[in-house]
Amino acid sequence: MAGAGSKIRPVDRLAQAVAKCGAESTAYGKCIVKDFNNVYKDKCLAEFQVLQSCVTKHMGKK
Amino acid sequence: MILRAAFRLKAPRHIAQGAGYRQQLSCGEFTPRRPQHRRGLAVATNTGPGGSGVSNARTGTGGAGSFQIFDRHVKRLQRDRAATDTEGSRNVDYLRDEVANRLVERLYDINRSYENVLDLGAGACHLARALHRSHPDLEPFAGRIKHLTSAELSSKLLNRDPDSYIMPPDSPMKLTRLAQDEETLLSAPPSQNGLFEANTFDAVISCGSLHWINDLPSVLSGINRVLKPDSPFLCAMFGGDSLYELRTSLQLAGMDRLGGVSPHVSPLADVRDMGGLLQRTGYKLITIDIDDIIVDYEDVFALIKDLQAMGEANAVLGRRKTLAGLSRDVLIGLEGIYKELHGKAEDGGSGGGTGIPATFRIIYMIGWKEGSGQQQPLKRGTGEVNLKDILGEQGGGGGGLG
Repeated sequence: MAGAGSKIRPVDRLAQAVAKCGAESTAYGKCIVKDFNNVYKDKCLAEFQVLQSCVTKHMGKK
Repeated sequence: MILRAAFRLKAPRHIAQGAGYRQQLSCGEFTPRRPQHRRGLAVATNTGPGGSGVSNARTGTGGAGSFQIFDRHVKRLQRDRAATDTEGSRNVDYLRDEVANRLVERLYDINRSYENVLDLGAGACHLARALHRSHPDLEPFAGRIKHLTSAELSSKLLNRDPDSYIMPPDSPMKLTRLAQDEETLLSAPPSQNGLFEANTFDAVISCGSLHWINDLPSVLSGINRVLKPDSPFLCAMFGGDSLYELRTSLQLAGMDRLGGVSPHVSPLADVRDMGGLLQRTGYKLITIDIDDIIVDYEDVFALIKDLQAMGEANAVLGRRKTLAGLSRDVLIGLEGIYKELHGKAEDGGSGGGTGIPATFRIIYMIGWKEGSGQQQPLKRGTGEVNLKDILGEQGGGGGGLG
């Protein structure tokens, strides 16, 4: 657990970045949930890559 | 008897610390909730390449060759770690405090005073705190208990708060803290290196910790052993569909990103299991009821962080062990899936697409140790009143009951 005064935990930065990618995140969620009885590896790879690049972009900034 | 009720809380994420958030909880709005179905997600027991199956994790360390599902050592470390950040840990007391308060309400229903009470799995003494809460027209229940022994696996969590935080200085109740693994604490009498003789306690209470016990039957019979005859065991435990939203979303994210499912949310005991277990371990006059507490979180990261701060992170033996068990890709994708699957207003979300709900199903149980003079069920066929006559008068002609 981060002590008082320490810098932001990496997972918090990830959370903030994901929060900024709402549209991409929703698109990915929709793709998975559309047919959730039949999910296999990389079913929504395209959507995920869009989401991931958005998150990576926002991870860089504080 | 099984009752069902649902409540909705707001996670006090942006509420000022201190007394404020506790009031927020006590007036949580009351929404009846339809039973949730699992949406045909039948992947729960499959195990992917990410982790070995829970059922493979049989080790011979438990009593009587029991299954080992949870890693108690890791659970202690998680609780220790959570308690180290006192402020962060207090911020997530909302759930345990709420459960403890509701358990104390059930204590009031039993018209008794107690000399010697055991709190098994005390956490940060939530029950002791709840016992001192004053009610509008009732004295704090602590006045009816002489001595409370709070036993907890993690000594850091147990000793997180000083006595002054838990109870007023003039409290009539004596509190003893005992840092012992609740799983093995009651399994043996003093003659076999145990701590407690049989027939020691006037009541045993357990609040929100039994879901990490590997060998529930032996713990339940241990409790039965240390109870005095005709004394109650009261228990609140997380069970059944608790966190089903997180469980299903993690499964979907894992399937897509990693190509398989690994255990992230513990297997939990169901209501029916608990009734059967209590009966099998010798309890009488068993009463069980359920509460669904639904907490709204800002996002899925807030939920996971709160669970971690409660010391409730994953301690299943077959879990993935990298990056707190969750791969980064799964974490990134999780938010969208969770919101899409469960975050809608009609599905119990807070509406407007913001925030996510997390369901905690609390099973409350009361069982009594057998004692003389206790109420007994009548023998089969000795009934003198025809139920049909009674039910018939209340309209419906008993049609619903066949």
